Amino acid sequence: MRLNILIGGKAGQGINAVSGIIAKVLADYGYFTFNYRDYQSLIRGGHNFNVLSLSDEWIASHESKVDFIIALDENTISFHKNKLKKSGKIISYPLFPDAGKNLNIALASALAKILGLPKELILKHTEKFQDSGKAVELGYKSQKHELNLKKLNNKISIISGTQGIANGAINSNINIYYAYPMTPATPLMHELAGRQKDDFFVFQPENEVAGINQALGSSFAGKITMIGTSGGGFDLMTEALSFSGQSEIPIVVYLASRPGPSTGIPTYTSQDDLDIALRAGHGEFPRIVLAPGDANECIEKTNEAFYLAEKYKCPVILLSDKHLAESDFSHDKKANPILKIKMNRKIPGKEIIKASSYEHLAGGETTESETEAIKNAKARLKKYSEIKKEIEKLEPIKIYGKQSKNLIIAWGSTKGAILDSIKNLDCRFMQVLYLKPLSDKIKKEMLTAENIILIENNATGQLGRLLREKTGISIEEKNRILKYDGRPFTSDLLREKIKGRLV
Amino acid sequence: MAEIKTKTKPTWCPGCSNFLILESVSRAVQSLIKQGWKKEEFVITTDIGCNSKIYDYLNLSGIYGLHGRSLATAVGVKLGNPKLNVIAFQGDGGAYDEGISHFIHACKRDNNVTLLVHDNQSFSLTTGQPTATTQEGYKSKASPSGFKEKPLNPIKLALASGATFIARCNPFDVDDTARIIETAVKHRGFSFVEVMQKCLIFNTGINSLEKLMHKVNDNNDEEKAYKLADEWDYNTAETGHDKIPIGILYEKI
Repeated sequence: MRLNILIGGKAGQGINAVSGIIAKVLADYGYFTFNYRDYQSLIRGGHNFNVLSLSDEWIASHESKVDFIIALDENTISFHKNKLKKSGKIISYPLFPDAGKNLNIALASALAKILGLPKELILKHTEKFQDSGKAVELGYKSQKHELNLKKLNNKISIISGTQGIANGAINSNINIYYAYPMTPATPLMHELAGRQKDDFFVFQPENEVAGINQALGSSFAGKITMIGTSGGGFDLMTEALSFSGQSEIPIVVYLASRPGPSTGIPTYTSQDDLDIALRAGHGEFPRIVLAPGDANECIEKTNEAFYLAEKYKCPVILLSDKHLAESDFSHDKKANPILKIKMNRKIPGKEIIKASSYEHLAGGETTESETEAIKNAKARLKKYSEIKKEIEKLEPIKIYGKQSKNLIIAWGSTKGAILDSIKNLDCRFMQVLYLKPLSDKIKKEMLTAENIILIENNATGQLGRLLREKTGISIEEKNRILKYDGRPFTSDLLREKIKGRLV
Repeated sequence: MAEIKTKTKPTWCPGCSNFLILESVSRAVQSLIKQGWKKEEFVITTDIGCNSKIYDYLNLSGIYGLHGRSLATAVGVKLGNPKLNVIAFQGDGGAYDEGISHFIHACKRDNNVTLLVHDNQSFSLTTGQPTATTQEGYKSKASPSGFKEKPLNPIKLALASGATFIARCNPFDVDDTARIIETAVKHRGFSFVEVMQKCLIFNTGINSLEKLMHKVNDNNDEEKAYKLADEWDYNTAETGHDKIPIGILYEKI
C-alpha cells in the first residue's frame, strides 16, 4: 500500500507544517512516511511544494504520480494537476475562506479525515499552533472518511537527514560546530544551534576560510570539532584540508551538495561533489570520505566520522546533499550502538605541543630534509593503509537483495529511491558508504555480476569513474542512469529505467 | 629563568630586526611566567613569511599555520580552550592582504588574543613584492615602474573596527617592545601590536623611518587615538612633517 500527497503553496504559507502534521499523525498510527521538499531560493511568494509519501512498509522516496493534491494556492493546481492519478483528489484552498492563517491546518485536517485518521491525533499535533482547534474542526467536518487506514503496530520516529547528522555529532560529544551559512548545510547549523549546551556551541565565522582555520585551532586545543558547508564553501576550505593532512589535526567536514557549477541551483539537489571530496587539497595526504544514504545512516556515519578523525588524526569528509539533508525519513529501527570517541593525542595546556603546516620532525620542528620528506610521506601512506583495514569493520558497503546477474551500484541519497524501486525485480543493490578508502569487497562483488547498472544524481557518473580507476571495471554507458536536473529520483520512474536495463 | 628560546639556529638574514622581536617576545613571556603565568598555557600561532619562522625559535606550544590565517587559527585555539594565552604572529602581507577579514573581525569581536604584526611593508620571503602597507612608488620585481597604490593605515582600520588595544613598536627598543607585548597579552580582549620591522634586503626605503618615531604616553582616549593614527600615512617621509607615534596608542578601559 502506498500513497503520495503533494502539498503546494507560496513560501510562507506553511506547507511544511501540513506535511509535518500528517507525517506525525501517520507515525502515531504506525505508518511509514517520506517527505520530499521542493523549494525555491526565495523567502516569501514563489512556489514551493512537498511530496509526502506513505506506506505500511519502510520507504525512503516519493513517486512522480500523486493521489492527493493539497493546494494552498492556484499555482499548485495548475503546476501539478498533470501528476494527479485518475483516481486522485484535489483539496484546495477555496474550501476554507474563513481559515485565515490556519488555512494549512484546515487542509491537513481535511486530508486526515479522508485518510480515516482520528481527529484526536490531529488535535495533538496541531496544539502548538495558535487558534488551531477551530481550523482542525473546519477541515475535519468538510470531508468524509474514504480510505479508513487501519492502525498498525509499528513504532516509528520521524527524522530528517540533517537531524541524523546532528544526533550523530552529539552522540560523538562534539564541542564546537563551525558554519558559515550555505544551503543545504545551513539546516544543520540551525539544528545544532538549538541544541547548544555547556560543553557544546555553534560558531559562525566571518567566512569559510576563517571557519576551517578556527576549527583546526579548536581541535588542536583539544576539542571535538566539525565544520559544515556546501560545495562553494568547501572549495574555499580546501587549503586547510591539506593543512589538516600535514599537521595531523583531526577535523570532520560536513559537505552537503547542491547542483553546480558555481552558484548553480542553490536549493536543489545533486551528487556533483564526490570528485572534490575525494581530491580537493594540494599534496598527497590520507583522508576519509563517507556518505550515508538515509537518516539512520546519518547518525551512524557521523559518529564513525568523528571516531576515525580522532583515531587517525586526519580530515574526514561526511558527504550529503540537499535531498538527504532536507528530506524527512521515518524509521522503526534504532541506529547502531555509539562508538566511543577516544582522544589519544597530546593537547596544549599541560605540555609543549606543536603542529605544523610545513613538513616537520616528530616534535613539530620545520624540516626540508630529503630523508625526513620520504619518512613522512611513507608514514602518511602507512596511515592510509591502516584506515583501509579499519573501514572494513564499519560497513563500507551494504548489499541488498538475493544473488542475481544484475548488480546496481550507487551511493548516498539515491539509496531510498533505489530500494523502493527494485522490489520484486531480479537484481542486487550495492550501496557504497565509504568512498575513500574504497573497500576491496567492491571489486569482488562487481566481478560476480553479469550486468552492472550505475545510478547517480549527476551528469558524469563520478562514482562510476572512481570504480573504473580503482577496479579497472568500466560500467557501460547505456547502463549509467544519471539524473542531473537538480531533482532526486522518484522510485516509480526509476523502476522503469532499471527494468529496461536488466538482463 | 625559564628558557623560552629553542636551540634551533634562526634562518633570518644577518642583522634582521626579527632577532630583536624574538628577544622582546621572549622577555615578555619570561616576565609573565615570573608573575605566575604557566609556560605550558601559552600557545603561539604563526603564518607564512619571515616573521613566522619564530615558531621554530620559541619553545612554546604552537601551530605553524597557513598564510594569512594565523589570526583565525589563534581565535579557534582560544575558543577551544579559553584558559590558553594565545599570541598570533603575522607579517603585513598575511595580516593586511591575505587575512584582512580575520583582522577586522577579531577587532570587531574583541577575541581575547594578541596579534603581533611584523610590518616591513613588503612581502620579503617571496622576494620583495608590495603589500597593503607598502609606500607609494616602491620599486620591486613585481612593481618595476613603482607601486601605484596608497598604503593602508591598519591603526585607523583597527580603531574603526572596534579594537580595544592598539600599539605600535620600534623593534630597536627591545625593552619598550617587551613591555608593550606584555601589556597586550594581559589586556582582556583583542590586542593588536604592530612592530615597525625593517627589511635589509628588499624594501630598504623604509629603513630611515626611525628618525620620525616618537614615543607617546599610554593612551586611553579614542579621539586622541584617531589623531595619533593620522600622524603617519605609511609613506616614506618626503614632506618632512610626518611623525610616527610609538607606544600604546589606544587601550579601552
